[in-house]
Amino acid sequence: MTEATDLAEQAGDRDPRVGLRAVAALRRLLEQLEAVQVRSARNQGWSWQEIAAELGVSRQAVHKKYGRR
Amino acid sequence: MFERFTKDAREVVKGAVAQAEEERARTVDAGHLLLALLGREAGRGSSVLAALGVTARRDSMIRALAEARRLAGLSQAETEALAGLGIDVARIVARVEEVHGAGAMSGSPKGKAWWGGGRPSFGREARTVLEKSLRVALARRDRSIGDQHLLLALTTLPGVPAEVLADHGVTYESVTRVLDGGGEARAG
Repeated sequence: MTEATDLAEQAGDRDPRVGLRAVAALRRLLEQLEAVQVRSARNQGWSWQEIAAELGVSRQAVHKKYGRR
Repeated sequence: MFERFTKDAREVVKGAVAQAEEERARTVDAGHLLLALLGREAGRGSSVLAALGVTARRDSMIRALAEARRLAGLSQAETEALAGLGIDVARIVARVEEVHGAGAMSGSPKGKAWWGGGRPSFGREARTVLEKSLRVALARRDRSIGDQHLLLALTTLPGVPAEVLADHGVTYESVTRVLDGGGEARAG
């Protein structure tokens, strides 16, 4: 049995470590998903403006994160 | 800090950058440092790995690192924490791969560097490993930072490299046992 399930069993869902770890993991998963979708949109010729609008962030934010450096 | 790194430790860092470039990754991460370490034959860190019987199981470690990278780079502990929320990482990755191709969630797509290319930057995670290696060296009262300190740092920082190392019997304790003279120590 691995650490996370051990923790969960020891302390139930109230152990903040498990909850916080899940949030951090979710953020990493989200970052990967975003990168995949942004890349796909760019490959299909979407503008940064269009991508930003769908993501609900500013064009600058998307471009700064994924644009040419 | 970097001036206190031994030649071997610098070679590992250079190797990690080369590894990231080869994968066309945007950033150098802890996994790249471990791969660089596994790819070397010189240095104390490498001899510790050999003493722990890891050299022969190098391919197994490389496969484990690649598989974790494919699964969005999440550690086992993270994947299980998400499972606790009802999120099935393997299933999400499989769905994304159906549409976007194998390795889509690995963060290092093959082919053209889609974000515009350029050298990969040293990521926060990799910098944390270097900082930790300095603290480990200080704690062990070693004057310089060698590849063995990088290895020790990798065993202590939570994440995929530490998990893969531990699965192959490489922990902070087993490494220090070898370094402190118990040369006969074996992994496991």
